[in-house]
Amino acid sequence: MIAIDYIVEGLKEAIKLLIGFDQEIYEIIFLSLFISTSATIIASIIFIPIGIHLGIKEFKRKRALSRMLYTFMSIPSVVVGLLVAIILSRRGPLGKFDLMYTPKAMIIAQTLLVTPLILGLTYSLAKNRGKEIESIGKTLGAGRKDIILLIIKELKIDLIVNVVTAFSRAISEVGAVMIVGGNIRRKTRVITTTISLMKSMGDYPMAIALGIVLLFISFLVNSIIYKYTGED
Amino acid sequence: MYIKIEGLKKYYSDKLILDIERLEIEEGRITGLIGPNGSGKTTLMRIISGLDLDFTGNIEYNHSPLNEDIYKKMTLVTQKPYLFRRRVYENIEFPLKVRRIDKGIRRKKVEEIMERFQIEDLKNKKGHLLSGGESQKVSLARALVFEPELLLLDEPTSNIDPESMKIMESQIIRFNEETKGTVLIVTHNIEQAKRLCDRIIHLDWGKVIS
Ligand SMILES: Nc1ncnc2c1ncn2[C@@H]1O[C@H](COP(=O)(O)OP(=O)(O)O)[C@@H](O)[C@H]1O
Ligand SMILES: [Mg+2]
Repeated sequence: MIAIDYIVEGLKEAIKLLIGFDQEIYEIIFLSLFISTSATIIASIIFIPIGIHLGIKEFKRKRALSRMLYTFMSIPSVVVGLLVAIILSRRGPLGKFDLMYTPKAMIIAQTLLVTPLILGLTYSLAKNRGKEIESIGKTLGAGRKDIILLIIKELKIDLIVNVVTAFSRAISEVGAVMIVGGNIRRKTRVITTTISLMKSMGDYPMAIALGIVLLFISFLVNSIIYKYTGED
Repeated sequence: MYIKIEGLKKYYSDKLILDIERLEIEEGRITGLIGPNGSGKTTLMRIISGLDLDFTGNIEYNHSPLNEDIYKKMTLVTQKPYLFRRRVYENIEFPLKVRRIDKGIRRKKVEEIMERFQIEDLKNKKGHLLSGGESQKVSLARALVFEPELLLLDEPTSNIDPESMKIMESQIIRFNEETKGTVLIVTHNIEQAKRLCDRIIHLDWGKVIS
């Protein structure tokens, strides 16, 4: 009985927070979106061209690279968080920049987290479908850079789906942002860390509200994927 | 462009696909390449175009080996045309764009070639949505727009209506006459080979037989 009451109360409060435009909750949502979007964009800009280049290039250890990429694609986020924490901590190699427990550290961790995903998905896409496009580009006189741009444009739809997939991995992970961000109120608190650390009663409605928001985001993300894959 | 092939051998996993002792393609002429299915015509075209570098033997282009400069002066129209997911206009513009030709000149050339091929009405259609015959016309136009010195055509008119075939053949002849560009064309159609070509090469079992 009491448990049900909690949930009902929580839901009521949650809806109040959302439609009442509670400042703190919108700060949390905004920070989450900002961090995961930044990480996805940074990883995409750097690693989509590299993934395409590797996908269409012939070289010896191609099989080994595939296997390594697929392994890293499912790396646990806490491992990434730990790794970044070691590098950024006071006594770590990048300790002097004092980035630990800041949004910047969280962006770095999530960039690292989605990089194997972007690289691996782009790579396998280019390996399967890039060759033919490369051939046509070559016969028409395109150089390396123009060919990579051409492949990006030709495979645009599949690439968007990959980027969205990476974003949804970033926005829904807890481990990495928790470790390097520290879930500091009004500074590094994001949707998933709030939900996972709803220690006090005060956080309970907020956690439910954020759960709803997260569900809504993943609904949006899946609609995008469905729209593009359904269309083709 | 003058092509000389010597001692060319090409294997696909132990199977000898091409074995050409000596073959010359004369500059400024239209040469036909005919032979049964599987005789290695497409393979030879891919090798000459520089797409397939996995062979032994020697190929000279204007008395020199393949280099960046030569590679930019030739083109291959593949058996199965592949058009980009963009407008037909932009498809044809592509080879000019990668050669960093001015926008104004690009527009003039693209419009001129579309008029010659009578495909102005396709201008704004998406390349990947065209029919087989339309794609073949557009892909030939895209190859001719930058006036290559060597034009390699792999069955360019295989599934096309007679009207379009006539246009394409006359454009190939016109290109050869006006720019003195060398043409090597694979065809199944003996009549077409007779209509177009100054010389015909028969390929069978990977060997040149006449
Ligand atoms: N990628 C490939 N791998 C293995 N065998 C191939 C490949 N491409 C072509 N072949 C073989 O090479 C031979 C010549 O093919 P191709 O050059 O396409 O002939 P054509 O164009 O004259 O019909 C055929 O026996 C074909 O099966
Ligand atoms: Mg063929």
